[in-house]
Amino acid sequence: MDLFSFLVSGIGVYVALVVFTLGMAWRVWQWMRTPKSPVRLGLFPKPKSGLGRFGKLLKDTFIAPQSVEQAAPLMAAAYAFHLAALGAFVGHLRLVHEFTPLVSILGVEGMNTFAAWSGGIAGVVMLLAILFWIGRRTSGAYKNLSTPEDFLLLGLLLGVVLLGDHLRFVGGLHAATYEAWFASLVALRPAFPPALAASATRWALDWHMLFVDAFLIYFPFSKLTHAIGAFTGNLVRSSD
Amino acid sequence: MSDTKPDLELDLRGLLCPMPMVKVSQNISKVPVGGTVRAVATDAGSMADIPAWAKSTGNEVVQAEKVGSEYVFLVKRVK
Amino acid sequence: MEKQELETIIGTLGKRMNRQLKEYLDVCVRCAICKDACHQYVATQDMTYLPAHRAELVRAVYRKYFTKAGQFMPAVYEARDPDEHLLDDLYRSTYACTGCRRCMYYCPFSIDTQWVISAAKAMLIAAGRGNEMLGQLADAALFKGDNIEMFRDNLVEGFREIETQVRDITKNPEAEIPVDRQGADMLYVALAGSHSILPAAIIFNEAKASWTLSMFEAANYGFFFGDPDKARLIAKRFMDEAKRLGVKEVVITECGHAYRVAELFYEAWAKERMPFKVVHILEVIDRYVKEGRIKVDPRGIREKVTYHDPCQIGRNGGIYEQPRDIVKAIAPDFVDMTPNREKQWCCGGGGGIVAMEEFNEVRLKSGDMKVEQIKATGASVLACPCENCRLQIGELNEVHDLGLRVVPVMDLVVEAMGFGHAAGTTGDERDAAEAVV
Repeated sequence: MDLFSFLVSGIGVYVALVVFTLGMAWRVWQWMRTPKSPVRLGLFPKPKSGLGRFGKLLKDTFIAPQSVEQAAPLMAAAYAFHLAALGAFVGHLRLVHEFTPLVSILGVEGMNTFAAWSGGIAGVVMLLAILFWIGRRTSGAYKNLSTPEDFLLLGLLLGVVLLGDHLRFVGGLHAATYEAWFASLVALRPAFPPALAASATRWALDWHMLFVDAFLIYFPFSKLTHAIGAFTGNLVRSSD
Repeated sequence: MSDTKPDLELDLRGLLCPMPMVKVSQNISKVPVGGTVRAVATDAGSMADIPAWAKSTGNEVVQAEKVGSEYVFLVKRVK
Repeated sequence: MEKQELETIIGTLGKRMNRQLKEYLDVCVRCAICKDACHQYVATQDMTYLPAHRAELVRAVYRKYFTKAGQFMPAVYEARDPDEHLLDDLYRSTYACTGCRRCMYYCPFSIDTQWVISAAKAMLIAAGRGNEMLGQLADAALFKGDNIEMFRDNLVEGFREIETQVRDITKNPEAEIPVDRQGADMLYVALAGSHSILPAAIIFNEAKASWTLSMFEAANYGFFFGDPDKARLIAKRFMDEAKRLGVKEVVITECGHAYRVAELFYEAWAKERMPFKVVHILEVIDRYVKEGRIKVDPRGIREKVTYHDPCQIGRNGGIYEQPRDIVKAIAPDFVDMTPNREKQWCCGGGGGIVAMEEFNEVRLKSGDMKVEQIKATGASVLACPCENCRLQIGELNEVHDLGLRVVPVMDLVVEAMGFGHAAGTTGDERDAAEAVV
């Protein structure tokens, strides 16, 4: 590995994971140690039973029907982005370990085709959602309300997704190659396998990882803590 | 009835409490310090509201009385 | 800005910090879904009133003084000092907010902007920029509470006059307005004006209820001002009275925020469980109508009637059906507004804004949606159980020439109780009086 690769696709990955994990734990701890609001802040109507409230919490967080009613296009982008991001995350697990049962059903070629399609769709959907959000923030009230943090996060996401899409569509390397690199990370001896080191794709991977590292490092210090705050906020909405 | 002519007359008839007190408070700054506002209200609650407002804001109710079905106040701006 | 003033403002925000406030300040993504939920923003398109922007002003200070990230990279977060400019903006956006929490209803994370606003008001008060009018009204209420003996005779004399009216209307010489009655079942907390006492007294007497009238009014300008200590002390006046008299229920009149303060906030503020229930007057009247304790003419109100859900008893208090059931029991031609219940548009009159002249323009403009909603129903009577809403809608009624009769629900009930023409005094007399003004 050259120095840049080592920094972003080697040591940087560890740093990012540590900062992300500890950072999120720290943020949650900060919330937990701050005393709860003494007064009740729920909205009516709310379910009477605990189970009903839990159900409403899940509905408000994962479907947010009220928000959809108010801003359907935005929420469509939000659904699409979050689902595609989840899909992309699951797809990346293939780099840790091949989904053997799927391969036995689809065959090696079939699996690669399936991954190309599913990963491709996820990548394109995320890209479109990010472009929609960037566009939305360039005019009117949205522009006035936006802060540099909003654009920084969208910029990082755009970098991650654009380069991810490049790897998916142009890179021409299959999972097995990346899997060897992932294995080296897990073994705490980060190294690119020869096929990757020799490939021009390596640069795209390094830049993809640079954005991923930065995104993960910044995550706990940004509004992305809504990943947890959405649940706690919606819990308060329905609580007694 | 006070003989001195007030600096400002407020017709607060028909207003429901606490609006008579609100109107007196909003208008007191329109008269000079030492000047007076004469207010006529129809809501009985103003008999407690306006004197309480005057006491807590350091102004002076020179007169507060019931005249027929109306409540008449003469409030002096102290500060 | 002087260092000491800055420290006071920051210290105040620190004291007000709690888990929910911190989360609300941390997680807002500025998606601006709230913009189309806020009646003030929709009507004016002015950023000052965009809920996320209102909170963003507090967030800017929070970022700078309460987060490491904001201290490390202030430009990224637009972290700022609470300078004169920020405090001016904060004052306008904060005291204009009616606290309807419609933005919270539509927020995907249920961020309670009003909760952030309450912290903003604390900061403004610390900076000596609390709204003067609301502060004065709160102080007057506290003064009355501390010196009740000074006002007792006047108040009781007023109650006796209303009692005479009750006897005239009900033709019941025994009808009474009890004050300080030990062991009564209910303590009725009205507003300072007789209009909120007379109809309730008629209904209580007809239902042969065991009740007593509070010496104190339910309205709480300490809550609007943004000082929880003052708000607590104002509510404490009648809460202590209720404890002293040993009542089973404290009944709050048709006043939105007063109900929310008494039912949802007071115990938390006082750090004490109250030995009685807090109920809304319309819950009690609904009970009487359904149990047949008062007789109402099901066709008592012939006009087309619609109902306005005050935010503080609806979305923020959970009372939706009882007022509708009452109105439907006396008015065959009832029609709901669209949207209604938890989606109801705020009328624009909450949060004490009706007492602050400086917000008159935005207040009246922000009623546009309510006016359209009312027009669409074709109703000529608006039943409305909140004083602030009635003041606002009453003014909209004049400005937009809606030809609407804006009345408390309990006035309609009295009209439908069949006392003949005299029963209409509550509404008609007021209309006549308003015409004089």
